[in-house]
Amino acid sequence: MPDREALESPPKPMAAHTPEPTDAQAGVNKEEWVTTNVDVKGDVVADGAAAHPLDRPLDRPGADIVVDSSMRIVQISASYLALNSLLPIDGCHYHYQFAGLDVFDAIKMHGLVPEPDSWRHAIHNALTKQDAYATADIDSTGQKYWCLRVVPVFQDSKLAYIALYAQVNVARHQTEPSGGELDVNDTYRILVETVKDYAIFMLDTRGNVKTWNATATLMKGYKPEEIIGHHFSTFYGDEDIKAQKPKKELEICLREGKVEDESWRYRKNGSRFWANVVITSVYRKGMHIGFSKVTRDLTERKAAESRLISAYEESEKLKSAFLANMSHEIRTPMHGMLTALTLLMDSPLTQEQRELGGIINESGSVLLQVINDILDYSRLASGVFSISLDVISIPDIITSVVRSIRPTLKPGITLESSLSPNTPGSAKGDPLRYRQIIENLVANSAKFTDAGSIQIDVSVACDDEASYTILTEVTDTGIGIPDHGVKSLFTPFNQFDNSATKRYKGTGLGLTICKSLVELMGGEIGFRPNSDTHGCIFWFTTKIQKINKPKQVDELEKQMEGVNISPPDDPGSLLKQIAPGKRLLLAEDNYVNRRIMLKVLKKFGFEQVDTALEGASAAKLVIENPQMFDLILMDISMPVLDGIGATREIRNAGLTIPIIAMTANALKGDAEVYLAKGMDGYIQKPVRLPLLRETLLTWLKP
Amino acid sequence: MPSDPHEEERSEAGSLGLPDLGDGIDALTFEQILEMDEDEEEREFSKSIVFGFFEQAEQTFTKMDNALKQQQQQTNQIIFVFNRELRDLEELSSLGHFLKGSSATLGLTKVKDSCEKIQHYGQMKDEAGINAESDEDLCLSRIRETLVTVKEEYAEAEKVLRRFFAG
Repeated sequence: MPDREALESPPKPMAAHTPEPTDAQAGVNKEEWVTTNVDVKGDVVADGAAAHPLDRPLDRPGADIVVDSSMRIVQISASYLALNSLLPIDGCHYHYQFAGLDVFDAIKMHGLVPEPDSWRHAIHNALTKQDAYATADIDSTGQKYWCLRVVPVFQDSKLAYIALYAQVNVARHQTEPSGGELDVNDTYRILVETVKDYAIFMLDTRGNVKTWNATATLMKGYKPEEIIGHHFSTFYGDEDIKAQKPKKELEICLREGKVEDESWRYRKNGSRFWANVVITSVYRKGMHIGFSKVTRDLTERKAAESRLISAYEESEKLKSAFLANMSHEIRTPMHGMLTALTLLMDSPLTQEQRELGGIINESGSVLLQVINDILDYSRLASGVFSISLDVISIPDIITSVVRSIRPTLKPGITLESSLSPNTPGSAKGDPLRYRQIIENLVANSAKFTDAGSIQIDVSVACDDEASYTILTEVTDTGIGIPDHGVKSLFTPFNQFDNSATKRYKGTGLGLTICKSLVELMGGEIGFRPNSDTHGCIFWFTTKIQKINKPKQVDELEKQMEGVNISPPDDPGSLLKQIAPGKRLLLAEDNYVNRRIMLKVLKKFGFEQVDTALEGASAAKLVIENPQMFDLILMDISMPVLDGIGATREIRNAGLTIPIIAMTANALKGDAEVYLAKGMDGYIQKPVRLPLLRETLLTWLKP
Repeated sequence: MPSDPHEEERSEAGSLGLPDLGDGIDALTFEQILEMDEDEEEREFSKSIVFGFFEQAEQTFTKMDNALKQQQQQTNQIIFVFNRELRDLEELSSLGHFLKGSSATLGLTKVKDSCEKIQHYGQMKDEAGINAESDEDLCLSRIRETLVTVKEEYAEAEKVLRRFFAG
């Protein structure tokens, strides 16, 4: 075989190309080698030379070898010899060595390229065709490509010579290395080694690490020698391992060819990073030989994500806070406007002025409701809304709501309530929020019902040791909800009638607020059509806690029930029962009024009444001792900070303690104003004792 | 003021047989105070309240007089008249409101009504507190007139009450 490096290296002396094994020393003694050969070939040449005129080496572009019709070499070119590293040295024409030899013998003997079979094939084809024939590239050694051309020369239709040309195709060899498998592997190996940010490594079929790239070392902290041969579960956290995640991933990978996962991975030093991992099954000739694993460190991306999320949450919060503040700020002048309007309406007006005033009043009230809704909604959305755990009497609330809504109903509509007998008279929950929900639903029904009835039903859905789940349903015979509207009922700012000419006013926040409140109270809210008519049934559940009474008291009560046939419904005695356990704060600047109120409260049975002489100290006292008081009686006009300001401060501090306004301002609409300012009740001065007693009972029960 | 329940209660209250307190004092309200006494002969509580009120009323009137006097002095000087008037009107209004509260509590209806008027005038409104009044001088002079009236009403009520507690 010729030396593979023959092409790239400068021509070497014959050493490596000993024509015959016995001439091993020929390279050392060139002269001898030449002489011997000359002698040997001499006779041959003499025969051949006589046969034709070509007695010197052919030079390109002539034929490399010329043979006669019996396939004996007539001539051989120097360049072909050079190509085979058999160079004529010092001008000696070694081609004589070949003259007269059978071409195939010569090729075989001297190891000429390409191999004899290629030649034989080419010559055969040319002779069969009786025309020139060229082969396609012949891959003789895996590195060299040969192109053979065979030209038969005919004299008088008789084959005289055959000219053989051999050309090595170097260009192709250089431009198309991809044919070599090793190069592909090298390329990939280099790519894998140099790629940044990706740990790429191979696992064997059992999941042991087989290869390890530079990034893997950087990312995971293991050097190749430390990790190769170890199972890849080394990178997983304890929990993942306990859950057999590595094993499961390989199983999925085998089943589906590929598995992708995003989770925590652990470095050699125990620190962790958020990784995206892709495992792919690797097959060779249909046989599973292992897995490839590509790991990306997404810690930075995850951090950026969480920064984005928190920025978003922050902006949502700010938005809600902004809404809440704005609504609050708008409310104050709105109240001023409406109050002034009430005064205006009391003055002598013409019929037309009165009508216009009425329009302003109605629009203002609607606007106020809208603002209140937005305020509630934004408070709920920003999470500052809290649910308090007070004593809640659902029967009382229902009665009160029915009483307050009935006068606002369109004529001919009835509003009734029914409570199942096992509805608890008192429990622990948030009476204000419950009231807000039921009021909202009933008001909603009232808004969309033009004729028929609204019915409130309360029942105990279930109860356990500690709590009742109360189901409250509001059924109306109104316009109902079209099917397409049901889905979006509880989404904010949504009214199913969103047409430009919508008949019903409102922000579309009412139900959203109800939903949030119900959820805050651990319940559910829903809608179903009223099957009797085309109206609505809105229902919600609330969990309220049982009041744990000592058994003795229960038994005592049972005995009492037997004895006392008529329940003590005298408000005076009722209040006397609960008053001693309650602590009140009286905020009143007028000495005379303060003394009288203290006296009255004492008469009612209150033993602990604190006083504040103006609003700021009242607010301070309550905020600093949020659990101390059960109720505040708040004068409106006080120095330093008036009752409204003090109430605002207390409410802003998140306290829901009942605040009852007291004032001698006997203006119509004042009560509404104070209630809107965060107060819970309103008593006019001079205080009528029965009214005060009733109000205290409402807010202190039991 | 809610009048209906008020009237009903008044007729009930009449049965207590209180001496006639005149039309300046609302019997029902005053009775409420009297009911707080532990001892109907001594009337320690109501007495101390009422006498405390006398003190408060007289102090308030003095403050009102002072505010008006300052006004008078101020009108002779040109500087800051406008601001001064407003500030004094505010002060007078709040004094009116203050005395209104306690007189209402004791049932001194006439005094209470007049105090309310002063409160409204001080707010630059008409006597009912409904229509705005832009003339400060007019408001001031109305307060001055009303103050005279309310002092008379108070004196009448004081006389009745002192007699009541003396008797």
